[in-house]
Amino acid sequence: MIFNDDNGLWLLSLGPAGATGLYWMLYRYYRNTDKSHDFEHETTVEAQPVTGSDHKVDEIHGTREKFIRGNNVNNYRQRVQRMDE
Amino acid sequence: MPSTTPPPLPTGPGSPQDVPPAPGSFPIDPDSLPPPIRDELTAPDPVAIDTSSAELKDGLNRCPKCGSTEIRQKPGTDELICLFCRHQWHSARVEEQFGLGEGIDQLEGTVIASGAKDIAADAASLMTFKCPGCGAEVTINVDNATSARCHWCRHVFTLNEQIDNGAVPDAVLPFHITKDDAVARIRQFVDKRRMFALKAFKEQFTPENVVGVYLPYMVVDANAAADVAGQGEIETRRYTRGSGNNKKTYYDADVYQLDRHVDFTVDDLPLESSANRSNLDTSRNTNNIINTILPFDTKNAVKWNASYLSGFTSEKRDLNVEQMKPHLEDQLLSIARAQIAGSTRRYGRGVRWEQERLDLHGSRWVSMYLPIWLYSYHQPGRNGGMLHYIAVNGRTGETMGSVPVQQWKLLLAALTTGSAIEGAVLWMLGYAS
Repeated sequence: MIFNDDNGLWLLSLGPAGATGLYWMLYRYYRNTDKSHDFEHETTVEAQPVTGSDHKVDEIHGTREKFIRGNNVNNYRQRVQRMDE
Repeated sequence: MPSTTPPPLPTGPGSPQDVPPAPGSFPIDPDSLPPPIRDELTAPDPVAIDTSSAELKDGLNRCPKCGSTEIRQKPGTDELICLFCRHQWHSARVEEQFGLGEGIDQLEGTVIASGAKDIAADAASLMTFKCPGCGAEVTINVDNATSARCHWCRHVFTLNEQIDNGAVPDAVLPFHITKDDAVARIRQFVDKRRMFALKAFKEQFTPENVVGVYLPYMVVDANAAADVAGQGEIETRRYTRGSGNNKKTYYDADVYQLDRHVDFTVDDLPLESSANRSNLDTSRNTNNIINTILPFDTKNAVKWNASYLSGFTSEKRDLNVEQMKPHLEDQLLSIARAQIAGSTRRYGRGVRWEQERLDLHGSRWVSMYLPIWLYSYHQPGRNGGMLHYIAVNGRTGETMGSVPVQQWKLLLAALTTGSAIEGAVLWMLGYAS
């Protein structure tokens, strides 16, 4: 029976996923709840060259995660722990 | 009793308000201290740039040529025009007059223009003037207007003196987009969003009711440095194990400890200086719509003259610089992180920033009224419903809005599409078996 097959069960989730995806896409298009001033790029910023250091501290073998856990390199607005002054 | 309690300590990564206590707030009540110390603590901060204008007085603001008070902005330009003698003139641009574009990299401390200084606790919203023409008393409610007409002799009164109630800013950016243009843009915006729009919204849609409003902003220049630290990973090997349906991909990676430092200056960052407008909680309001149409060409702002506001409404500022500093620091950190992102390209598996620090060397605050065409629709519902805005930037014409949706229509469309996909999948599976 095909429904015992992994691939078949996976395909069945396409319907609900399509419905949810369409709902949110249209909702955002109407309500624009995800929009705000893109001040990171729309403001005149003059920056000196970025300085810093990189040290290799560890190696990972055989992880199944495609990205580092907690990747926030492009999530500029996610605040992290403040360093002590 | 301390006047303000210090903000709570950071509760972990991502806490949005983890900044040091505001310099204005003291752990001990200044009144309980010896007079010399108390006087020092409570002395007013220096006002560095004086943008109040001597030639403009409260009350009658006359045409420099003929003395009439019928002054308006000439539509589509930054000029004022006297409706009586047609004389036209131009207010000075604050950028040049007060040197606001210069020396940002030399900024130290907090420089506050005179129109951006703290609002007095006892400041009144209603201001009464005695008309010099006929002696009648005329009242202006500065919450939403800065001019009024004497109902007896028809002179126009304007508010130009920078009193401590937040109503008179340093500068104003006059409207360039005309009302017809704004109406056309709003209509175009809504026409693209009709199918699933709330029925009542469509029935009551009258973009001609758009209102030109001057909203209060602080335009901030800042000189800052930021440090961030975290870990990044570079992929060294990628391989698959297993076969058939159990094929799985595995990765090997090198882990690096990173730290980055950047010195930067920011020119003319606009921040909402009304407590109500700066609350961008999209589950409760649609203020993010008004936030999205930023920025403005604030370099062209002219020195305050209430005559620019004739025919428009205004909203007065109710936030002080110290209250807005956490907001500024948050945005500066975001800007710094965006600048630093370019130096981490080699970390293909991404970077997890864990710590950050901002040193705000100096900031300069100028209070400004910025022009916005605003159409609003109130959707009834729980907790007072939702006020939907459609906003047009009065200078650039950038348009953004929130159109209320007819939930059942949207759900029906989603379910129909989902069922169609599901049907196709079932057909394919049946065909394959």
